[in-house]
Amino acid sequence: MPFATARTVSLSGATGHLVDVQVDLAQGIVATAMVGRPDLSITEARDRCRAAVTNSGFEYPTSRRVTILLSPADLPKRGSHFDLAIAVALLAAAGQMPKSALDGLVFVGELTLDGRLRAVPGVLPMTMAAAARGMTCMVVPEPQADEAALIDGMAVIGARSLAQVVAHLRGDEIPTAAEVAPMASAPLLSWRGDQRVTDLDMADVLGMADARFALEVTAAGGHHLMLSGPKGAGKTTLAERLPGLLPDLSVEESLELCAIYSLAGGLPPGRTLITRPPFRAPHHSASRASLLGGGTGHVRPGEVSRAHTGALFLDEFPLFAGDIIEALRQPLESGEITIARGEEAATFPARAMVVIACNPCPCGDYHPTDRDNRCTCSEVRRREYRRKLGGPVIDRIDIVRHVEPVPAHEARDPLARPEPTAAVRARVTAARQRQGTRYAGTPWRLNGHVPGPALLERWPLHDLAARALEDRVYSGTLTRRGGTRVHRLAWTVADLRGLDRPGGDEVDVALRLRTGDPLMFSALSVAEHR
Amino acid sequence: MTRELEDRLARVALGRLVEPGDPRLAGVVAELGAVEVYAHLREDRDVTGVRTDVAARLAGLDPEGELERAERQGLRFVCPGDPEWPAPVADLERAGTLNGRGGVPLGLWLRGAGSLDDLCRRSVSVVGSRSATTYGVGVAGEIAAHLAGERVTVVSGAAFGIDQAAHRGALAGRGPTVAVLACGVDRAYPLAHRDLLAYIAETGLVVSELPPGCAPTKHRFLARNRVIAALSQGTVVVEAAVRSGALNTSSWAALLNRAVMGVPGPVTSAPSEGVHELIRGTGATLVTRGSDVLELVSPVGSHTQAPLRAPQRPRDRLSVSEQQVLDAVPVSAAAPTSSVARAAGLGAPAVGKALRRLRTAGFVEGGEDGWRLRPRDEAGTVS
Repeated sequence: MPFATARTVSLSGATGHLVDVQVDLAQGIVATAMVGRPDLSITEARDRCRAAVTNSGFEYPTSRRVTILLSPADLPKRGSHFDLAIAVALLAAAGQMPKSALDGLVFVGELTLDGRLRAVPGVLPMTMAAAARGMTCMVVPEPQADEAALIDGMAVIGARSLAQVVAHLRGDEIPTAAEVAPMASAPLLSWRGDQRVTDLDMADVLGMADARFALEVTAAGGHHLMLSGPKGAGKTTLAERLPGLLPDLSVEESLELCAIYSLAGGLPPGRTLITRPPFRAPHHSASRASLLGGGTGHVRPGEVSRAHTGALFLDEFPLFAGDIIEALRQPLESGEITIARGEEAATFPARAMVVIACNPCPCGDYHPTDRDNRCTCSEVRRREYRRKLGGPVIDRIDIVRHVEPVPAHEARDPLARPEPTAAVRARVTAARQRQGTRYAGTPWRLNGHVPGPALLERWPLHDLAARALEDRVYSGTLTRRGGTRVHRLAWTVADLRGLDRPGGDEVDVALRLRTGDPLMFSALSVAEHR
Repeated sequence: MTRELEDRLARVALGRLVEPGDPRLAGVVAELGAVEVYAHLREDRDVTGVRTDVAARLAGLDPEGELERAERQGLRFVCPGDPEWPAPVADLERAGTLNGRGGVPLGLWLRGAGSLDDLCRRSVSVVGSRSATTYGVGVAGEIAAHLAGERVTVVSGAAFGIDQAAHRGALAGRGPTVAVLACGVDRAYPLAHRDLLAYIAETGLVVSELPPGCAPTKHRFLARNRVIAALSQGTVVVEAAVRSGALNTSSWAALLNRAVMGVPGPVTSAPSEGVHELIRGTGATLVTRGSDVLELVSPVGSHTQAPLRAPQRPRDRLSVSEQQVLDAVPVSAAAPTSSVARAAGLGAPAVGKALRRLRTAGFVEGGEDGWRLRPRDEAGTVS
């Protein structure tokens, strides 16, 4: 029977579906038909495969009617990596190699006309999807074998050409082939080099005790932070030091991040797992697609997803386009982003700590409580500027801090010993470990991820503290969502202090962090509460 | 042995015997002299009822040895009559008592390089709550730094919160600062401020009424507060809850007829409630910055501040009727005099004159047939 099946993976966002590529050779009008909702790049596979098969020294069934089905047929499919599966299924159907050789294998790769195997984006998430469905062996383009091998228990065959793959399946000697170039990647590099960020230390930040503490809490609980203040107050200085406060990524986090970079085509070959949390600082003029994800053809993850497990810094936040600000609502709340396009909706993880920085007015000099402010903006312009901050996004920010330029007396304080990053990171790491233990067996890792109802039911506050918080919500001084965020923050403060449950003082600190009120000075030193 | 030395030794010894600020002793020492009082107590005769209280402490007193040991530790003892003794402390004699404490200290133990007399010639105490907010800490530091920059000594109690911020602000302002402790000057209390106290001693002074080695207790803090107030010309309270030791210090400042000042906070803030009450109830002066404080404690006329005023705009110089006319002139489409007069509700001839004046002054443009406002850049908008 001239029929064979090969397997591959179709990606929709970061979700992978196992796809059967079935090839049937029949009598009839000579033609090659492709069915099963392929997109344009897959229909082109017909022509690529035909040339690749012929040019690799195999025989294309030119006297038959070739039907190629991508099953399940109702799932829209996209991408050029179906080539390899189509070609091997075709050769097996034509009896040029045993059909049984295809069993249990997943094929991923794009073919060139001369039969070479080209790298494709998304090999890591494809491998993850295949592994999740019990597959144990992947055939991938050679430069991406490392990427696929990151998944435990997955055997990986890296090949340079169709001929090599066929030889492997037949059990023949592997022919030589020219080296395949790694993927021509054009990562949307952030405007600051990653290296520059890793060299920054908290020890160089004078004063700003309040904001330093806010940064520590942000890092410990995976919260979102807003820094507002006149230009030159040190907002960027602080934000850039956030990734340094985070511990190394866990294997699980690292795989998720690598999968995102793989989808974006930005995972360099030979690079093993990413170990440090990312810091992304897109400029406010960046396009919607580069920020949130999208792009023509293949849907790529944007900066919000590339910052997954790390920090996303949005400087001059009110200058971002209104629809981008609106769209940030979803990642801020649920840690993922869905890009809906036509009938396709791609979802990517986007669980980054979002740090928003804003000036208090267009000229950047205004401060409502600064008696020496030199702002020249009219109140109307200030209102217009601030309107962007209002509403849905601000309500989803956990911590609000107003920073002002460090006063001369703090900058000259002979006894000031700003704590170095390493010391803060040690506390953050300990606090994150407590959370890891507490949330073991749940889908959450950090306080910032836990939904309100779960928090109230399983991890409540001390009775009195809970009642005090409830009172604030009932009296209308705090929204329900705000109450949840205070609850999460209180847990983070308790985790930093090494307490088993947040009480009144932790709630007080959390409320102050949330409302922007000045903190109690004694709360800043976590060590004293141990 | 000279009379001075005898007096000094007696004062050192009495300092060991009685608790600081014991009002029973203050008067009697001034009247009889320290030597006489000490002799009485040693010879088992009572003085104003303190004999039974101090009986247990009489054994093993060694004032000479104590002074020697202190000298080896770099500490010294000053008492009335010494050149370094600050004269204003004598005001405590007439200030009465508060919480059962009062009177001129028998003497003061000092650690540090500064001269107490010099340091207290121009000095302000900046005190406040230990549970301070970052706002209070910031303001205390700013005020202290400003005072220090004007060579005014900042006196405080070296406690957590506002006190330490005041000292550090003064140090940052490269100015003198004095810490008055409720324990021996050889001790660091709180322990976390060991470095701070050492730093203060390098340029300023660490002061205590208590002999070396003594531990801080609650009533010793209350006695200490009167020394803080007495060593300065004014007391600034930055953040004090309704029950706060800082308010005790400000009460002493009031009893001593020194300036009492308060820095307000948000009206909703608990750590500022005591200060607000101080201003509202006792008429303490509201201060918001270092120069406000300076104005109050300096000789009349030397640091007087001009009252705050919003910057004057060109429009402010116009007469009321001119402003009325100006309000009636349209922004873009020009209007004739008659129309402007109708809008302004004033007679046409007067409006015509006013418009010509406004044109000369550069507020409007046009002529009898049509007037409109002269466009301006946003910053100088005439509105």
